[in-house]
Parts: sequence; C-alpha cells; structure tokens
Amino acid sequence: MAFLDNSGDIILDAVLTDTGRFRLAKGDGSFKITKFALGDDEVDYALFDKNHASGSAYYDLELLQTPVLEAFTNNTSMLKSKLVSIPRTNLLYLPVIKINEIYSTNNARHSSGAYLLAVNKDTEEALGINASSNAVSGIMYGENVGAGTTIRVDQGLDTTEISPAFTIDADLVETQYIVEVDNRFGSIVNATNASITSPSFIDDDNIATYFFSLGTDIGVVSENTERDAAASTQTIRGPRGTYMEFQIQSSLDLNTGTFLFTELGSTTTIATHSVYYIDTTVRVTGATTGYRIDIPVRFVRKV
Amino acid sequence: MATTFKTFSSNDVISTKTLLHEAIPLTGAIVSGSYADGNVKNYSHGMFQSVYDYPYLSSSANHIFDITVGYSPKSPLSSSVGDTSFPVVAQNKKFNIYNQMAQVLMGFDHTGSVQLFDEDGDLLAGGTKIDAAVFLSFSRLLVKDEIKKGTFSITLGVGSNAPHDTSWASGVPKDRVFNRRIKVADTNAQNDFRVNSPAGEYGILYASLDQGTAESNLSGTPSAAGTSVFEADDPADGSTTIRAGLIYYQAGIVVLTQSLFLRNEDANDGTRDRDGASVADVMGSGLLNSAGYMLTASTHGHKGYNSGRKESLQMLMTGSNITASCDGVRARIHNISFNNTTELNSTVYFCRANHNEFNYSSNPTYLTGSKIRVKQQSTDQPVSYITTIGLYSADNELMGVAKLSEPLRKDPTNEMTLRVRLDY
Repeated sequence: MAFLDNSGDIILDAVLTDTGRFRLAKGDGSFKITKFALGDDEVDYALFDKNHASGSAYYDLELLQTPVLEAFTNNTSMLKSKLVSIPRTNLLYLPVIKINEIYSTNNARHSSGAYLLAVNKDTEEALGINASSNAVSGIMYGENVGAGTTIRVDQGLDTTEISPAFTIDADLVETQYIVEVDNRFGSIVNATNASITSPSFIDDDNIATYFFSLGTDIGVVSENTERDAAASTQTIRGPRGTYMEFQIQSSLDLNTGTFLFTELGSTTTIATHSVYYIDTTVRVTGATTGYRIDIPVRFVRKV
Repeated sequence: MATTFKTFSSNDVISTKTLLHEAIPLTGAIVSGSYADGNVKNYSHGMFQSVYDYPYLSSSANHIFDITVGYSPKSPLSSSVGDTSFPVVAQNKKFNIYNQMAQVLMGFDHTGSVQLFDEDGDLLAGGTKIDAAVFLSFSRLLVKDEIKKGTFSITLGVGSNAPHDTSWASGVPKDRVFNRRIKVADTNAQNDFRVNSPAGEYGILYASLDQGTAESNLSGTPSAAGTSVFEADDPADGSTTIRAGLIYYQAGIVVLTQSLFLRNEDANDGTRDRDGASVADVMGSGLLNSAGYMLTASTHGHKGYNSGRKESLQMLMTGSNITASCDGVRARIHNISFNNTTELNSTVYFCRANHNEFNYSSNPTYLTGSKIRVKQQSTDQPVSYITTIGLYSADNELMGVAKLSEPLRKDPTNEMTLRVRLDY
C-alpha cells in the first residue's frame, strides 16, 4: 500500500477488511460493527524527544511527520498496537507481557531461538531426548501433549523502580488473553490438564483466535502471587499481575503428512536428524491493556 | 479498568443515502469509426453489435453500449402486414429483439400479450405506438445505478452523405453528413417521467434541430411505412413536442423510434420531399443516400436492399441484417452524453475519543522496560498519536479499517470525533 497524501487536509481512508466482506457476503447478520479501537501502528515513540533543546513544541515534531500507509484489507495486519483508555493520567509505568523461560526448564526456548513443536511421535522421540537420555529444552510435544515444553508468558510492570512486593494496580491487571495461531498447524492446549481448547472463531486466513480469562480458564490463566524480588523464576522485575501457560497440539495435517511442510516450509537438520519445518508465530495479546507479543514457533517433522 | 475498545452508542451510528452523478460524454468518432471498427464487436448470431471505447481485443477496452434494431410483427414493416414486395432479411431476429425489449421494458397487457412501446407512455389512451425501433443499451460501467433524468442527449447526423467515403456519393465532402444534425434528448424529464413500466422509470425523448436548416412544415401523403417524426411538427417553430423515442433510466436503454430515420420524401417521388426540395437537403432525410445506398461505418455504400426504393425506413429496417442496420445508425451518431447516478448507501460511525480516553498506547515503542517513554514524571500528561481506526464486531473481529493521513495527537486536554463513513 502507498502512503496517504499528507500535504493538505487530513483525510480518512476507510475500507472493509476481508473478514468484514466475508461476513457481509454471508448475509447472516454476523456483519455488525459494535465498537471501535484506535491504533498507532506506524508511530515510533522513540522519536518523541522530551529533551529537545527548542522546547516542548518540538518534542513530537518528527513523530507528527510520520507518513501513514493506506489501509490494508487483511484483518490480521492492522491495529497491531491499540491505544488504551485509562482514566488516570498519573501513570508512569504500564504493564507488559514477556515470555518467561526461566520459571522451569520446561519453559525455555530451543537453542535455535524458537519453540520447536514435534508434530508426531517419531519426531518427539528423535528430538525430545538427547544422546544422554535427557530432555531437550524447547521441544514441545504435538502428539503426546502434556509432556515436553510449555509456553509461559507473564504480565506485570517490568521495572526495577518498583518492588514486586507492591501489588499491581487492579486496573492494570490483565484478566483476559487473546491467543492467535494458524489453525492449519495446531490448536491451543491447556498445559495443566492437557485438554484441548476451542477457538472463538477462525477467520478467512485460517487464523484461530482463542480467549482465555482469569477464573474461567483454570490452568491457562493464573494469578502470579510471587512477590519476591530475588525470585529466580520470574521474568517480570516489578509488580506482577497474571501469567498464562499453554501448549500446542499439532494439526492432523502436520501429524499425518508432509504436504503443508513442502508447501509452506523447508527442510533442515536438528541434532543430526533431518526434519521438515514450518516457521510461524503465536500471538498473545492482553485483552485489557492491548499489549502484544509474538512468540516464534517452529513446527518440525522428522523426514 | 484499562480498555482498548469503546462501544458505539445509538447516537454514534447513522445511515445516509447520497446520489453521486458523473458526466459521461461519448464522442461520435469513437462510436462511428475512430478505430476502423476494431472497437465494434459483431457476433455470429447477428442479434446485436457491441461498441467499445478501444479495440475490443485489448484488455484496456471498456464496453460502452450495445446497439440493435427490431420491429414488431404488428408493424407495417412486417412482411405479414406490409408490402411484401420489399426484401426481408433476418425478420425473425428483428421480431425477437423487439419482443424481448418490449416485454422487459413495457411488460404485458391484461391478456398476456406483449405491449408495444408507446410514444407518449399513455397506455390507456392508446395513441401512437413505436412498432419499430433502434435500441441502444448502455453498459452498467457507464450507467451505474441509473441515467440521471433530463441529462440524456444524442445528436445524429442527418445529412444524406456517407460519413467517411467521398467516392460513392458523387464526390460530396464526407463530413456533410453532420452538417445537418438533430438532437434527441429527454428534455425536462426530471419533472416529467413515467412509472408504468416493469423496468422502472422512463422518459420521453424529443427531437429538435441541432445544426443546419430546418424545413418548413411538411405536408403531403405519408409514405406507406409511416410518417417521419419531422412531419408531425416543425422544429423551426421551436417546438419540443417531436417525440422521438423513450429512455429507460434504470435499465439504461434508449429506444429510438423508426420514424426518426424515415426520409421526408414524397410518397410518389423518391427524389423530392413534400415541399419539392431535394431529399439531400431535407432534415430527417434518413440514413440512406438519395441513390439508395445503405450507409455503414466501414463499408460505406454497402448495398443492402433494392436500389431506388423510396421507402428508406424499410430499406433500413427490413432490407439489411441487424449488423448492417446497426452500422448505418452508428455512422450517424455525432455525440452522446448523459449523467449517470450512483446511489451510495453509507453508514457513518462517529468515533468519539473523550478527554480521558485513548491517551496511552500498547505500541511496543511506547515503553522502555515498563516506563512510558513520553513522560518524565508521573504528573506529565500522557500522549498518544492516532493513525488508525478499527471497526470491530462484538466478538472482536476487525470488520473495517480507516487510516488518517497523518498522526493525530491525543492527550487529556483534547477530545475528538473521527467520522468514518462506509459506503455500500
């Protein structure tokens, strides 16, 4: 998409997304706009220079000159970062969501930098155990879910300025998480009891969206009660809110065949094993604060 | 409670309807041969002809309109009704075209019979019927939702020479065909149109002099094929009551009466009009030259009927196949223009950001660690910058997106209403 002309009056370029058009075409009343959100995808707040020598009028001069792209029609490509409404204006810190790889050895990524998901039993056995018969970090079991690595994300104020002994403000606690994953590859599993969860909807791009709430999805979303600043299991350095744990079950297509691997992926060698792989990301978004992280996941299948 | 969505109230959403109009000028040169008829598509079935704005084999070509001719089995032109001595070419196809157009545009009477096109739209009063016609059906690309009433006009060259060929017409300059022109328009149709058609609203087309010299009132015996529209009234009087056809606004179809093309000639003399003038100088002298040649856009001088016949109308309508008749009419089109109409149904969403809303961001660059980058101390005002508006369903699916051309600063000292319009 091109940039919008910003030489004159402010214009608004509006389009329906592919999902919007899909629902409109269905004609079943599912196309109903009920709410809105504001986003700032293009904005780089690092350009905000609050020490500008010429004064406050120049703090955001560069930022306001940011060219804005035309709207994309792909529903998953827009509104990556939303503006947040918090009535209070005196906040200096906002909560973030971070991958917690140090809570246990079962939460670490693979040495390749991504979480590896072995899509069938053969691959689990080949990659999950090393030559010393020890479990390999970062290998998720896509067939025998419940075993292997678990993805854990923690939420809270990641700062050393405030002690984790303080309780995070109630309005900044993330009580609901949105997880998006490509439904062709896998589905989200409750890491505590290995039960399969159901997506709220799957869009036209095969992206499945799951909602998990504190108090409702027990074992997936939990309150983080660790208050010790010295705790070696915590990645959030300040006051902590909630955390979320999940695993991924591989899809039947990946479990039983190589079609998607050859179409969307490639081959490589991991620990002397030749494997097919597909790289993707699992997106976790806080429904309350809008903060989002993309978690790299590599689906692998032994050749 | 931190939130990223704001629900619309009933005061934030409104539906509106807007009519957009575009001017569509079609120069006759395109219609009648700029591309040596490479932009005119003929079909093996020979039922109609399609006109494009560029050679139609090119992917750049746009369809402009289709043209065809037809007459009713009840017309005097029909060999079963009229003079059977005239040659009849592709009569059944012409019946089919007429009946198809009539049943779609005029519908059926109480007996289930197809209604004939009526000159003034007053079906109950009977009156003059258009039982033979040239049909121009315009592409939806141009018409959009409908033709705007009162804007349609077509000018036709009615000089009696071929448009492009000087050889066949005694060396007369080729452009003389457009020296005398008539204009057919739906004058005042915005205030005077009919609604008794199954195809929507329609108006009456009126003919008037566009260029050249009008003839005085004609008198004499009508020819066997009917009376020219120009015999009914005199354009020199400034009259606009010369009915020349119908225009169906929603269907985008123009019906030009056959009598528009009828030569104003004395029934007993193929070379003189009723005032004794040469037919070549008479307005409305039809599409045939005095020697009786059928004019076509490409072959100019194609002889499609018995030479020397007086009844030019019959020569046009019956003596040629539909394609040749269309060629003849096309060669006389000087200009066409109308305004189209697009009906835009819009929903306007007023996205209201109050002073205490949307002042923070979840943008990863908004924070360093967890500290807000745009604040030095907690008493500083939070600031955010809006570039995008997302419209969501109740289940948080993104239905529509709007982008601002530049970031808008949002802080607790300002409020704004962003108006997003979705057109359907």
